[in-house]
Amino acid sequence: MLNFTLRRLFAVIPTILVLIVFSFYLMRLAPGGPFTSERPLPPAVMANVLERYGMDEPLHVQLWSYIKNIVLYFDFGPSFSQKDRTVNDVIAQGFPVTLTYGFWSAIFVLVCGVPLGIIAALRHNGFWDYTMTGLAIFSQIFPNFVLAPLMVLLFTLSWGLLPGGGWNGGQWQYIVMPAIALGTSYMAGVARLTRGSMLEVLNSPFIRTARAKGLPERTIIIRHALKPALLPTLTYMGPVFVYMITGSVFIDVFFSTGGIGQDFIDGAYSRDYSILLGLAILYSLLTFALTLMLDLLYAWIDPKVRSSMG
Amino acid sequence: MRDTQTNTAPLLSVRDLSVRFRTGDGLVHAVNNVSFDIDVGEKLAVVGESGSGKSQIALAIMGLLAKNGEASGKIMFDGRDLLHLPLGELNKIRARQIGIIFQDPMSSLNPYMTIERQLAEIVELHEGASRRDARKRALEVMDAVQIPDARARLDAYPHEFSGGMRQRIVIAMALMCNPRLILADEPTTALDVTVQAQIMKLLGDIQRDMGTAVVLITHDLGVVAGFCDETLVLYGGCIMEQAPTLSIFDAPGHPYTRGLLRAVPNIEDPAASLAAIPGSPPSQRKPPAACPFAPRCVDAVDACHLTLPDLDGDGSKRACLRPVEVLT
Repeated sequence: MLNFTLRRLFAVIPTILVLIVFSFYLMRLAPGGPFTSERPLPPAVMANVLERYGMDEPLHVQLWSYIKNIVLYFDFGPSFSQKDRTVNDVIAQGFPVTLTYGFWSAIFVLVCGVPLGIIAALRHNGFWDYTMTGLAIFSQIFPNFVLAPLMVLLFTLSWGLLPGGGWNGGQWQYIVMPAIALGTSYMAGVARLTRGSMLEVLNSPFIRTARAKGLPERTIIIRHALKPALLPTLTYMGPVFVYMITGSVFIDVFFSTGGIGQDFIDGAYSRDYSILLGLAILYSLLTFALTLMLDLLYAWIDPKVRSSMG
Repeated sequence: MRDTQTNTAPLLSVRDLSVRFRTGDGLVHAVNNVSFDIDVGEKLAVVGESGSGKSQIALAIMGLLAKNGEASGKIMFDGRDLLHLPLGELNKIRARQIGIIFQDPMSSLNPYMTIERQLAEIVELHEGASRRDARKRALEVMDAVQIPDARARLDAYPHEFSGGMRQRIVIAMALMCNPRLILADEPTTALDVTVQAQIMKLLGDIQRDMGTAVVLITHDLGVVAGFCDETLVLYGGCIMEQAPTLSIFDAPGHPYTRGLLRAVPNIEDPAASLAAIPGSPPSQRKPPAACPFAPRCVDAVDACHLTLPDLDGDGSKRACLRPVEVLT
């Protein structure tokens, strides 16, 4: 297991390098740049600015020094669009915010989605099953840019229960709505997935064996059915969590949380190369960390996976 | 065995058992009015081709029919009708009084639990055994089913065992509580021939040592020959013939049984061609009104297509208007 983890960690390095090279050239290929504007700068000024950010050098030299700065000083360079801020500053400020409500959102997805799915499976073709499945389909197609304004309308404007935006150092009142708005459709997905896999597991021969042992139904579900029924959900949760973090742009903008999504948008509009590249690296590291965590979790659950890890 | 028994009531008595399934195309009558008894320590074979309803009988006894299945009739065990027992009461009989060996050892073990837990939980549940005692019992039973190096393999997972070993584990499961009856549903079908023989010998030894009654469900007449006292031949969910195993082989009474025997290769006459029974198994959409085998029977007369004969005869019973010995 340790061996496996180490191997995977080493594999991160070349992958990230490839990612940097690709994203770097792709971005530079895109038309425009951080300093293009409707009224072009005088050539002398432009040359000055470019020199200041090291953009007068050939591309591969720029790439080389970018990578060197990351490896040696963990420095992702200065922001092109936000004066006097480095990419490190931007990430350090915005990322914890997004990660915080993303984390709570994932908890919400699991804590609500999994039990709902299980209950629906146990009441298969009953009232609760139909209600749950109907609700799940409804909320799965309900986009967060509809849900979020609706929630603000109800919880902030009508009932005055929760603040309609801001972050305020991450007090819980400020986390609730972004987390729920972000997670609802994924929660519905998890509920449906869990229901489906639970139904499948409950029909499998080894559950029949467990019944033949005379075990009470509750023990059968908790001891025999839960683990295998949760495997597909686990597989689903990995990429979903990354989506939730990276796809939280709308939430960040709508609730003005000050999360990293806002910086991503701004960076894309202003061709802020270093911000975009920095965030791309951040997101891919996040993906790596989560996939590794999931694989280890998988190994913990499934003995077959464990023995194949060597 | 039957004669030495002082207690006259049979261990298990199945009366008019019918099993129906609700499917998208309507009702399927899988088992029709099947009745039989098993005495303490008796070995009964239930033989039939696939689809004859033999496995459904075992599942009905255990209360494990699929959700769309429904059993009617009576299954008396210890003076109680298993078909009308609440689940909590049935759970006290499952594994403790009646053990079942499922046919597919690959899928009937939980892949996410160690063998030890899967075995031990049975005695923890039924006998309130402590973890340590349950582990000890699991080890004993693993030894009894001759799993080599059982102590070291207790904490292994099912995928670390071969098919034959897994079948032994499934058998071990059925033995954990020393049940009075074991239902063995095709215990050797998934295994290759040499392993089949080992497993059957093992079952025979266990049966002899513990005096457990066994219902052996199989499509393999060869397996039955050396094992069971009494054989019950099933076709289209109906009993065709019920007789001591020896007389089934010596003098099959029902044309279907005769056909089955002719379809088995004979080592003394390898040149003889195998005689397949022409036609295909009956549709079971309607409850049988006439002998289900009549459409495929070479000896059938008009009356065979109109009446459903009763199981009749002494010693060797058959449900047939024109049993073999009448014709010859």
